[in-house]
Amino acid sequence: MNLIERVIAISRRRSPWICRLNAGSCNGCDIEITPLLSPRYDAEQLGIELHGTPKHADIVLISGTLTLRSRQAILDIYDQVPSPKAVVALGSCPSSGNVFAGSPLVLSESLDNVVPVDVWVPGCPPRPQAILDGIARAAQLLEDGSTKSQIQGQRQNLGGRLS
Amino acid sequence: MAMLKTILGNLLRPSRTRAPADMPVVPPTYRGALGHDASRCTACGTCAFVCAPKAIHFTQDPGVSVSWHFFIGQCSFCGLCEQNCPTQAIHLRSAVPGSMNSAGGDGLRLESLIHLQPCTRCGAAHVPLPAATMDALWAAGAEEVERGYCPECRRWAASARLRNAFLPEGATPAAEGGRHDR
Repeated sequence: MNLIERVIAISRRRSPWICRLNAGSCNGCDIEITPLLSPRYDAEQLGIELHGTPKHADIVLISGTLTLRSRQAILDIYDQVPSPKAVVALGSCPSSGNVFAGSPLVLSESLDNVVPVDVWVPGCPPRPQAILDGIARAAQLLEDGSTKSQIQGQRQNLGGRLS
Repeated sequence: MAMLKTILGNLLRPSRTRAPADMPVVPPTYRGALGHDASRCTACGTCAFVCAPKAIHFTQDPGVSVSWHFFIGQCSFCGLCEQNCPTQAIHLRSAVPGSMNSAGGDGLRLESLIHLQPCTRCGAAHVPLPAATMDALWAAGAEEVERGYCPECRRWAASARLRNAFLPEGATPAAEGGRHDR
């Protein structure tokens, strides 16, 4: 890894921009993100900035139960995030459906079956510091080049070169 | 002048309000991840019954043990399991588990093993009662030897005591036989 690649990798950790995606959440997890950006928890000291569009984001925070209608939206938004990217799943809902599991319009499955998830943050809703910890972990993964999408990209590059 | 003082003060102060490690404290009554005490659990299944998202379930290894399973990715931390546990075996701890890299799985999964004990009378494997429950049940009148009995033998012993209480003075007590079907 040369110097410029190293600097780029470090700057990925030092300024992760996040994009929030509500996949059918009760808004509990989304409300916990708001104090995260306030001076009390001060996410910006880690370089975290909330952006409205996935095209500017490095990390996607996905909260809420996956529904039949949100499945395609998640895939679309995930595709719009430029590589390298990381996915953080907030709370219990993305991993199982929580209390909504078994409803007819709810996909009672893990978010991992839709997009590759890098960090799971437990809680219902998770505390702001747990979310902050999750974003910091995802940023660290981005620096190490070990998010699932980065590993997949490397594999594809390797396959392209070999064939 | 006052403005200059404020500016100077702000320049001398560190730039952040709180370091990441210096976070607001978690209140002691916060409902975090579950803790399970296998020595107090009677495997009655009340927690699995009241759990709305079905985060708790039991599996059994017949004749050997019963396992209590918990998956944090399905829990909504409502506390109904703690409220309804008749022997206070479940506690929601304020210690919050941190986030988890997906390489380590999709969240905390707990398993707690409750070993079955053979009945001292008929030998059937059963979940032993926790000591506190035992003391409450055997506060009056029962014999020490009954503590190792399975629920069926406990019922048999209680009814034998009741039968003998109706017998007149000097009559021979009920025969020791009377095994339950198993």
